[in-house]
Amino acid sequence: MKSVVIGAHLRRDDIEPLAEAIAAGELFLSGLPVADDQPLGDRELLLRVAKIRAALLERATFIAIRYGLAVSSPAEASAKCAEHLERWRALLEQHRDEVEMTLKVVAPERVARPDRHDFKSGGDYLKALHAATNAVEVDPEFHTAAEEAIGKGRWLHRDQASLELAALVARDAVERVRAAGEELKRRFPHVPFLLSGPWPLEVFADADRE
Amino acid sequence: MNEALDELTLLETLDHLLDRGVVVAGEAIVSIGDVDLLYLGLNIVLANVDAIKRTSKR
Repeated sequence: MKSVVIGAHLRRDDIEPLAEAIAAGELFLSGLPVADDQPLGDRELLLRVAKIRAALLERATFIAIRYGLAVSSPAEASAKCAEHLERWRALLEQHRDEVEMTLKVVAPERVARPDRHDFKSGGDYLKALHAATNAVEVDPEFHTAAEEAIGKGRWLHRDQASLELAALVARDAVERVRAAGEELKRRFPHVPFLLSGPWPLEVFADADRE
Repeated sequence: MNEALDELTLLETLDHLLDRGVVVAGEAIVSIGDVDLLYLGLNIVLANVDAIKRTSKR
């Protein structure tokens, strides 16, 4: 058996009996045990993990681990996560009463994706791709209103057609933020966007996005 | 309308599952099944954008 890792948690009872609790240093990883030959791309498995992830978040805030990590023992879990454990513990203690919410807004115009054939090197192509993604913009008025609605968080350029604002929201403020999202929809009927959440610590736990 | 919202919720959930959170060093998977994960992720993002547009027009 192997366990598909879902997240990192402060306490064992934040996990059980919804998922398997795997000790990793002073923290616990939540896992879903599956057969060794179980393909991770199985649709039913993805949906099961998504469902457990949501149930775990209702219990307590945790750090989301990108889908794809599987471990066979607590020793393997500790070894693979060793360099992160101290930082994760600090984040979990700091954000215990918060969750993430995201507002994905569709840009008025999709920025043209560079054509690989126009570039001599892969590096130049990646730079152009990055520049095209970062060129995506939304109405400045909406930009400000979105921050007022869900809070000043991190704007992420993820593709050539949309922008995303991720913010930390107090657990008891989720409904207020949803209501602010509805109000935003009324104020900006011409701007297609999706307010979603609550989510575990995803963007705010990702050191690469700090 | 409910079907469109269900589709949007599913796409958003998969987007968060596959493309968010901490990547543990050396453990980023590049494919699931026979599908390249970057390709799958990109398609989910694009499908998600289209779904947001469709849903907001209703």
